[in-house]
Amino acid sequence: MKGKSLTKKARTVLLAVLAVYAVTVATHLGEFWPFSIYPMFSQGGNPWSRALVREIPDSDSISWSPVALDDMPGLPYGVATNGVDPIDLANFVSKTQTWSTDRVGALSLMLLSNREADPIRLQVFRVQARLTESNDVDIQATPYVIVGTGIEPGIGSLNPVLVP
Amino acid sequence: MNWNLSDNLFGFDDPDSRGQRIFRRAFELFICYGVLSLAWYWGLYTLRIGDVVLELGLANWLDISFMHGNSLPIWNAGLITAMIVAGFFRLGKWWYSVAFVLLLFQYAARFTLGEIPHSSNLVGMGLLGFALAELFFPERTSKGRFALGFSYFFIGLGYTSAAISKLVARGITWPDGHNLWMWINEKAVDEIARSGFVELNVLQELALSNWWIATAFLAIGLLTEAFAWLIWFKKTRIPVVWGILGLHIGIWITMDILFQLSVMELLLLALPWGAFTDRFWPEKVVGITQS
Repeated sequence: MKGKSLTKKARTVLLAVLAVYAVTVATHLGEFWPFSIYPMFSQGGNPWSRALVREIPDSDSISWSPVALDDMPGLPYGVATNGVDPIDLANFVSKTQTWSTDRVGALSLMLLSNREADPIRLQVFRVQARLTESNDVDIQATPYVIVGTGIEPGIGSLNPVLVP
Repeated sequence: MNWNLSDNLFGFDDPDSRGQRIFRRAFELFICYGVLSLAWYWGLYTLRIGDVVLELGLANWLDISFMHGNSLPIWNAGLITAMIVAGFFRLGKWWYSVAFVLLLFQYAARFTLGEIPHSSNLVGMGLLGFALAELFFPERTSKGRFALGFSYFFIGLGYTSAAISKLVARGITWPDGHNLWMWINEKAVDEIARSGFVELNVLQELALSNWWIATAFLAIGLLTEAFAWLIWFKKTRIPVVWGILGLHIGIWITMDILFQLSVMELLLLALPWGAFTDRFWPEKVVGITQS
């Protein structure tokens, strides 16, 4: 096959893929893997939401009050120690609209499934930040859920303000 | 300079060489490696997923929860592996296409928790390029040239689209250094979530202490993305690839985000490996005598 004919075919295939690309991203909010409009970081300056986990010793009482990042209770706990991607955790927490028993169970599965049998109690916080009028970054952590070995996942382990 | 897009992307009439053939095969091998690493990583991770928070990709069209709570993701990774091996060793022209479709399921099952990642898109597009090359092109040289040109095109389009998304969302004020302050803090919280602790590096401290420096970082990044389409043309290709690599290194240092597979792919495209190979291991030309 000559170069001209190959070029024509390549152009046709490329344009066909481009058309599918355009239609799928246009109808799926810019994302249809591996097609994307790559909107990451486009929303500069917007408030953001993440999640953090703290290990709460049995001797400590549980508080559901929002705190500053430096005043979080308990001990540092890295979710990577249990193979969890922190972005998954953050999205799970921020995108959950209704905290059902199933949803608390799924969070418990995510955080505890690979753990040894050692007893542990983890408090999951939603961390939210915004730019203040004076252009400082204000960060606040709100306790959402308690999960742990020996804790039956359910709405009883939720911050009372989240109970559906 | 020839600005014909098709000639620059595919060059079907260009002379071929041993170095170019080895380079194209190496690129294909990298895409195969990328696909296998994604298939297994996603498959193993999916085993711990118990609920669907956000549907992405195929999950918009079908209930992907059938992949959760069982060993299907592992079987799927195994099937993808077999398809990729068969495709790489030219055991049939459909294998890469089937692998691509199976990978769509693997992705949809893995990313149901709300994260919308972009680190795997280039590898996914690379596989699509090789799948289409197998289906529509007649022999090895044209298949390889199409697949490579296809990747160049969508790399350029992807990064340029990223710049356009930013400009559409925020206009020319997008590079405002305060935005970088927010992201550095956001990624610091991610690091605390990941490991329990965080320590900011010198560049992050510098950006947080000086708005102008933070703004300059973002402006350089935006300009690099905006001109990424120049990767489509041979003359500008290599400098643009290096520019995008620099962008990724900047994102890595300031925001602790490393798109490993994308960076590896760009590193493969950043140097004229074919020309190097031809220089140090030239092909013997038969039938030409020097006078």
